[in-house]
Amino acid sequence: MARMSAPLLTAELLRRLEQFQLLAARRAKSSARGERRSRARGQSVEFADHRNYVLGDDLRYLDWNLYGRLDRLFLKLYEEERELPVTLFIDASESMSFGEPPKFDFARQVAAAIGYVALCGFDRVRVRTFPEQSADAAYLGALRTVRGRKSSLQFFQNLGHLTTGGSAQFNDALRRGALSAQQAGVAIVLSDMLDPEGYEEGLGALVGRGFQISVVQILSPEEINPETYGDLRLIDSESGAEQEVTFGKFRLKSYRQTVDNFCQRLREYCTTRGINYFMSPSNASLDQLLLKQLREAEIWG
Amino acid sequence: MNFLEPAAFWFALALPVVVVFYLLKRKRVVKLISSTLLWQKFLAENQANAPFQKLRKNWLLFLQLLMLILVILALARPYFAAETKPTRLRVLVLDASASMQATDVKPSRAEEARAEALKFVDGLRDNESMIVLQVGAITEVKQSKTSEKAALRRAINDYKPTDSITRLDEALRLAETLIKNEQDPEIHLFSDGAFPFPEGFETKPLPLVYHRIGVSSDNAGITAMDVRANPDNAAQRAIFASVSNASSNVISGRLELSFNGQTMDVKAIEMKPKENVGKVFVVDQKTNGVFTLNLVVNDDLAIDNQASVISLLPQPIKVLLASSGNRFLEKAVKAAPNVQLSTTSDLRLSGGDYDVVVVDNVAPIEWPTANVLAINTWRTNWFGAIGKLEQPAIVDWKNTHPLLRFVNMQNVAINESLAVKAPPWALPLVESPQSPLVLAGELNNQRIVWVGFDTLASTWPLRVSFPIFIANAIDWLNPATSRAELLSVQAGMPFHFRFENPVSSATVTRPDGQETELVINTNTTEVLYGDTTKRGLYKLKTPDGETDFTVNLLDSGETDITPRDELPFGKNGRTIATTVQQANLEIWRWIALAGLVLLMFEWWFYHKRTA
Repeated sequence: MARMSAPLLTAELLRRLEQFQLLAARRAKSSARGERRSRARGQSVEFADHRNYVLGDDLRYLDWNLYGRLDRLFLKLYEEERELPVTLFIDASESMSFGEPPKFDFARQVAAAIGYVALCGFDRVRVRTFPEQSADAAYLGALRTVRGRKSSLQFFQNLGHLTTGGSAQFNDALRRGALSAQQAGVAIVLSDMLDPEGYEEGLGALVGRGFQISVVQILSPEEINPETYGDLRLIDSESGAEQEVTFGKFRLKSYRQTVDNFCQRLREYCTTRGINYFMSPSNASLDQLLLKQLREAEIWG
Repeated sequence: MNFLEPAAFWFALALPVVVVFYLLKRKRVVKLISSTLLWQKFLAENQANAPFQKLRKNWLLFLQLLMLILVILALARPYFAAETKPTRLRVLVLDASASMQATDVKPSRAEEARAEALKFVDGLRDNESMIVLQVGAITEVKQSKTSEKAALRRAINDYKPTDSITRLDEALRLAETLIKNEQDPEIHLFSDGAFPFPEGFETKPLPLVYHRIGVSSDNAGITAMDVRANPDNAAQRAIFASVSNASSNVISGRLELSFNGQTMDVKAIEMKPKENVGKVFVVDQKTNGVFTLNLVVNDDLAIDNQASVISLLPQPIKVLLASSGNRFLEKAVKAAPNVQLSTTSDLRLSGGDYDVVVVDNVAPIEWPTANVLAINTWRTNWFGAIGKLEQPAIVDWKNTHPLLRFVNMQNVAINESLAVKAPPWALPLVESPQSPLVLAGELNNQRIVWVGFDTLASTWPLRVSFPIFIANAIDWLNPATSRAELLSVQAGMPFHFRFENPVSSATVTRPDGQETELVINTNTTEVLYGDTTKRGLYKLKTPDGETDFTVNLLDSGETDITPRDELPFGKNGRTIATTVQQANLEIWRWIALAGLVLLMFEWWFYHKRTA
C-alpha cells in the first residue's frame, strides 16, 4: 500500500475539529489524570461530596462554613479529572487497499480526525492495526500511545506511513485489543467488516471489556455497486479463494439487496449492544461523516 | 419411418455447435476483488430464492438441443407408410422442343420451365400425386404416378430440351388416358406455346392449365432447305432455302452456304417482321457431300440457324417405257432431266436394270420390281373392285405433294376413268367426288404412282401441267431421290435406312461424337435409329461402308418462338387454357428456419444481458 502523498486532513477541517470534544457516556476509569470526570476523588474545581475529617487530612480542604454552622469538621471532596483513552482499531488487511479512493485511506482520514479531536481534549490515543505489518513496526510503536495536542503532527505522519497486507483476523485482533487495554475507553473500529469469520466475537469482546464502541464500516464503491458484468471468476485478495459468478445488470438489484442485508444485520447487532454504527463508502465526503453523522450520534460535540 | 429430405440431417452438425456455445460460456473473466464474502452471500441468497438455478442452466441447454433436434426432424420430413385416401392427380407436361432452348429468359426457357415446375412440385399437397411427361417429337414418361417429391424433383431435373418439334397431341392423348377415372385431375403444361395446337380436342374438356414460359419472339431461322438439280442446267445444283423471321423487328444478317465445310456462297438477308424469305443458291457439285446453310443473325434461338442436306451427284435415270403408243408421254418422259429412256413392247417386264418403269395403257404379264408409274392400268393386288367412271370432275388436288409441285389440274377434262377405292398404302393426289384419279404410295419398298385414266382420252397432255407432272413423277420415283430423302430426317423422327446387302452390325456416330451400337437382327437389310434429338450430321457405319445422314429442325412452328398467351383449344376455341394458377409455395420450412434464427437470437440475447 502506497503511503499517502496528500495530508490526511485539510487545515480547514482541522480548525473545525478543534471545536469538538469527545463525549464520554461513562466516567473515565483511567488512572492517569486528565480532563475527564471520573469516579475517582481528587483535585479539581468540581465539588463532589463531604466526608468526616480524620487526622492527617489536608486542612486546606476543610469546609469552614460547615464547621461554623455545625461545629464539626468536614472535609470537601472534589472530583478527580482523569483522561479518556481512545483506541482506534484500523483494519489494515489487503481488502482495505481496494476502492477508489482506497478504503484504507478513508479509514486513516477518519482515524486522524478522531485522534486529533482526542488529542486536543488531552486524551490518550492508541492506534491498533490488524494485521500488524512487520514493516510498520516503528510507526506502530510510536502510535501505541499518543497524548497531547503537540503530538498531533507526529501522529498524522505516523498514520500516513501505515501500509496494508494480509488477512484481517478481525475477531482475534479485537479480542487481543480488549484484553490488553489497561482501561476501557472509547473504541473506534474502522473496517470493511468483510471478514469470513464474522465480526461478532471481536465486537463482543470489546463490549465485555466495557468499551464505548463506534464502528465505521467503509466499503468501496465497486463493492456497493459492481460495474463488471459477464461471466466472472472472482479471486479473493486475502484468501485467494475463487468464486465463479455470472453477473449482469439484471442481477444488480438483488446484489444491492444482499449488501443492504449485510449492512442491516451489522447495524442491528451494533444497536442491540449499544455500539454506534456508521457506514460510509470510501469515496464519500469526509465532512458528511465527521461533522454530521458523528455529531448527531453524539460521539463528539 | 422414412424421410423425404434425409439431407436435412446435415443440420445435426449444428448440435455440437450449441454445446460449444455452452462450453464457451465457461470461459470467465478473472478479476481480483477485495473480498468474495459479499458475492458468496449474494449467490447463497439467490440460490435460496431459486433453488434450481444450477439445474435450470442445464435444462436450458437440453431444451435448446431438443428444439434443434425437432427442427432437424421437421426438416427431414419423416413419414410413415400407411394407407391413404385416393389422391388427386396432376399431370406435369414439360415442353422439350427446340424452341425451349431460346435464351430470351436467362439462362433459357427450359431452365425457367424447370424452375417453375420445381416450384409447382414444392406446392404439391399431401393428397396430390403427379406424373411428369416430357414432350418433344416423342412423349416420354419421366416419372410415373407418385407423390414422392424427391422422385418428382429428380425427374424434373432430368428434363432436357431436344432439337425436335413439339408433338403435343401425343402427349395430350397420353395425359387424357392417364387422368381417366381420376378425381379432380389437372394437366399442367409448361411451354412457350410455340407449336400448332393439336386438333381433335375441341369437344373434350381437358382440365389443362398452361404455364407460359418465355417473353420475346426475337428469332429468325431456316424453315426449309432442299437440294435439287438446277432447272436451267441439270449439271448444276440448286439449293432452295426458306428463312423466316418470327420477331416483330426487322432482322438482317447473312446466309452462308458451305459444302463439306467449305464456304461456297454468302448472301445478305434482310427480313421484315413476320416475313418469310426464299433464297436460291446455284453451285457446281463435283462429289457427293453435305450442303450446310448457316444463318448468321443475332437472335434468341441458335438451333434453327443451321441446316444440312446430303446431296448425291445426279446419276442418269434409266427409264423403261411400256406403252401402246403415246407420243405425248414419250416426249414428256424424255424431256425430264437426266433421263435415259428405253421403250419396249414386251409385256414381260422384269425391269431389273431400270430405275423407273412407266406402264401406259397396257397390262404387263410380269410386273417389274422397280418403281412404277402406272397409267390406266393396275396390278391385281392393288385395289379391290374396279369400276368405270364417266367424265369425272376434278375437285381437289394436293399441290403440296412433291408430285404435284407447280401442277395445276384446273383446266383438265377427263372423258373416262377407272373407279377405285384408295388402298391404305396410297395417298390420293387428284380426286373426283366418286374416286381418286391419281394415287401415289409405297408398297413393299416399291414406289408407285397410279393414274386412273387414259391420258389420251383427256385434255391433260395438251396442258403445261402434264410434262411437269411427268418430270415430278420421274424424280419422285427415282430411287436415288427417295434414298436422298431418307438421308435427311427431322429432329426427333426415326432414321430409317435400307441396305442393298444384309449387314451384321451397325454403329451410329452422333454429332457430339457419341457412338451407339445398333441392335439389329442377323442378316437384316434395314436399320432404324430413333435417338435423333440432336441436330447435325450423323454417321452410320456398317462393315460394308459408311453412310451419312443429317438431322435438321426445319420447322416454322419452332422457329416462331413467340410465347402464346393463350392456347386456342381446338378450332372452335371452346376451351382456352391460360396461365391462371399459381403454384402454392411450401413455407413451413421457412418457418422452421425462422425458428432456428430465433433460437440463435435467444442465445445472443441471453449473453447480451449478462455482458
